[in-house]
Amino acid sequence: MKITAKQYAESLYQVVKDKNNSQIKDVINNFFSILTQNNDITKAEKIAKEFKKIWNTEQGIIEAEVVSAKELDNKIIKLLNNYITESSGAEKVILNQKINKNILGGVIIKFEDKILDGSLRMKLEELKREMVK
Amino acid sequence: MSNTKDFIVEQLKQQIAGFKHEIKEQTVGKVIKIGDGIAQISGLSDVMMSEMLEFSSGKKKVYGVALNLEENSVGAIILGDFFGIKEGDEVRSLKRILEVPVGNSVVGRVVNPMGAPLDGKGEILADKFYPIEKIAPGVIARESVSKPVQTGIKAVDAMIPIGRGQRELIIGDRQIGKTAIAIDAIINQKGQNMKCIYVAIGQKESKVANIAAKLEKYGAMEYTTIVLAGASDPASLAYIAPYAGCAMAEYFLDKGEDVLIVYDDLSKHAVAYREISLLLKRPPGREAYPGDVFYLHSRLLERSCNLNKEHGGGSITALPIIETQAGDVSAYIPTNVISITDGQIYLEPDLFYQGNRPAVNAGLSVSRVGSAAQIKAMKNVAGKMRLEAAQYRELAAFAQFGSDLDEETKAKLERGKRLVEIFKQDQYKTVPVANQVLIFYAIISDLLNNVPVDKINEFEEGLNKYAENSGQDILQEISEKGELNEKLEENIKKLVEDYKSTLDYLEK
Repeated sequence: MKITAKQYAESLYQVVKDKNNSQIKDVINNFFSILTQNNDITKAEKIAKEFKKIWNTEQGIIEAEVVSAKELDNKIIKLLNNYITESSGAEKVILNQKINKNILGGVIIKFEDKILDGSLRMKLEELKREMVK
Repeated sequence: MSNTKDFIVEQLKQQIAGFKHEIKEQTVGKVIKIGDGIAQISGLSDVMMSEMLEFSSGKKKVYGVALNLEENSVGAIILGDFFGIKEGDEVRSLKRILEVPVGNSVVGRVVNPMGAPLDGKGEILADKFYPIEKIAPGVIARESVSKPVQTGIKAVDAMIPIGRGQRELIIGDRQIGKTAIAIDAIINQKGQNMKCIYVAIGQKESKVANIAAKLEKYGAMEYTTIVLAGASDPASLAYIAPYAGCAMAEYFLDKGEDVLIVYDDLSKHAVAYREISLLLKRPPGREAYPGDVFYLHSRLLERSCNLNKEHGGGSITALPIIETQAGDVSAYIPTNVISITDGQIYLEPDLFYQGNRPAVNAGLSVSRVGSAAQIKAMKNVAGKMRLEAAQYRELAAFAQFGSDLDEETKAKLERGKRLVEIFKQDQYKTVPVANQVLIFYAIISDLLNNVPVDKINEFEEGLNKYAENSGQDILQEISEKGELNEKLEENIKKLVEDYKSTLDYLEK
């Protein structure tokens, strides 16, 4: 039977999770020899991607994206961090910042499959819809 | 001048001050695969079954429906133009099941299955929305069918009566007059307190335009809605069309009104659903239809019902249409729908080409509701007619071999010939129930025996005209009382005899 990238990543995580750094090196070497044996070395990239996902969910880490019109200061970033940890139940948040002048002001927060659109552009559009009504 | 300007500015300020914006958490997903009107979407972890999705790509918003909820992805059908959607586009879930606008504002309109107008008569301002999928009314709410739907087609009203709340299948080959029966039935509902909905599934738009024009011409659009999923629309729209039409019917049902709904046709609906199912990678079964193709139609047709007084007393009568291939009624979809409905009208090519139109086969057509859906007068005159019409064809085939027949058989054959003539009826020429009773009474009381067979149609036309002039009270009595008594029967007999005395083509 074919082993999927996800299954590889899952098993790799199970082996690796409570080992120290030197042990992990052995495990990785071993893992790669299995991959070559199974002729699945082309899946390495996919496995890495899946592994990252599994690692993050197991360790309670989530990645979030914040889009704003200009650079945010640390105070706001901290507030956002707190908000995301609270609403998602994660332990740690990795916050990626993006600048997009098009949203005019405010922020858009994206994490997991949720999106909170608090941008000025959105508000103006909604105001327009309301006025047209 | 400046006063009005200030006033407008003030108004605007107030509006803006009153505007409150709330940031809502929305669930989004990403399109990972798109093609053939089907999208695979990642994310959307808490999406519901058949929830509406919004694809925001480009300027136009396109809606979709979630159909397959899998571990890591959601399979959705796209309702509308899917060419603008790209891989990686954002998809929002709208937290509500797919709904269509319902109410009086859709009456007289041609709409698509989403309730958007297609007739260029302006926007539809519906105050209410109904979900397209609904569980049918249960046992407690229902009542057995007792009131008739007058189709105005003599062969149907006499032999295969349809009641309010019944589901009567119209089945036959292509180009044989299936739609014609349904359209005539709609036209005849004028002044009978019926709302009509005609659902065109995968039909040529030219045909639907034609139908709309004909309904308009006969004044039937006043109470009719046409739901159109054309041949060029994606399969997803054809799939939801009958459910959308049924939702529009349910609005009137809930108000206690009677509705007649025509699904034209369900074989194309099944094909559309097969396409969707196969694209969603559901396993194919017999004739490549998915396993739940029976439930597809049974849940739709079960929504037709006759409610009792405590539950509003409304009804939905369904006339589903099935197209057979070369008269094969034992194919998968025809047998399914035959078993779901309360009877079928079977149209036969042989009869059609012999010139018997509508080409209703009396032997294979049945109505399981039977004479409960006829007025008493019709019951009296039409009782034996189905049997006689069915026997006539066999007898006629048999009589070709033997030349010397006994008197009784000869009489039966003669009567059968005239009966067949009476059942011939042109399209768009519906006959009111009182006139039907009149001509049927004439034939069962042997009043037509000396009318030549080729003159029967002329005779009937003339009789109707004569009755209009000098028998108005008789027709009125039949339609109002709905039953025959001795005196009325005498009057009918006299009317027919009187008319006959004005004719010169009678035999002997």
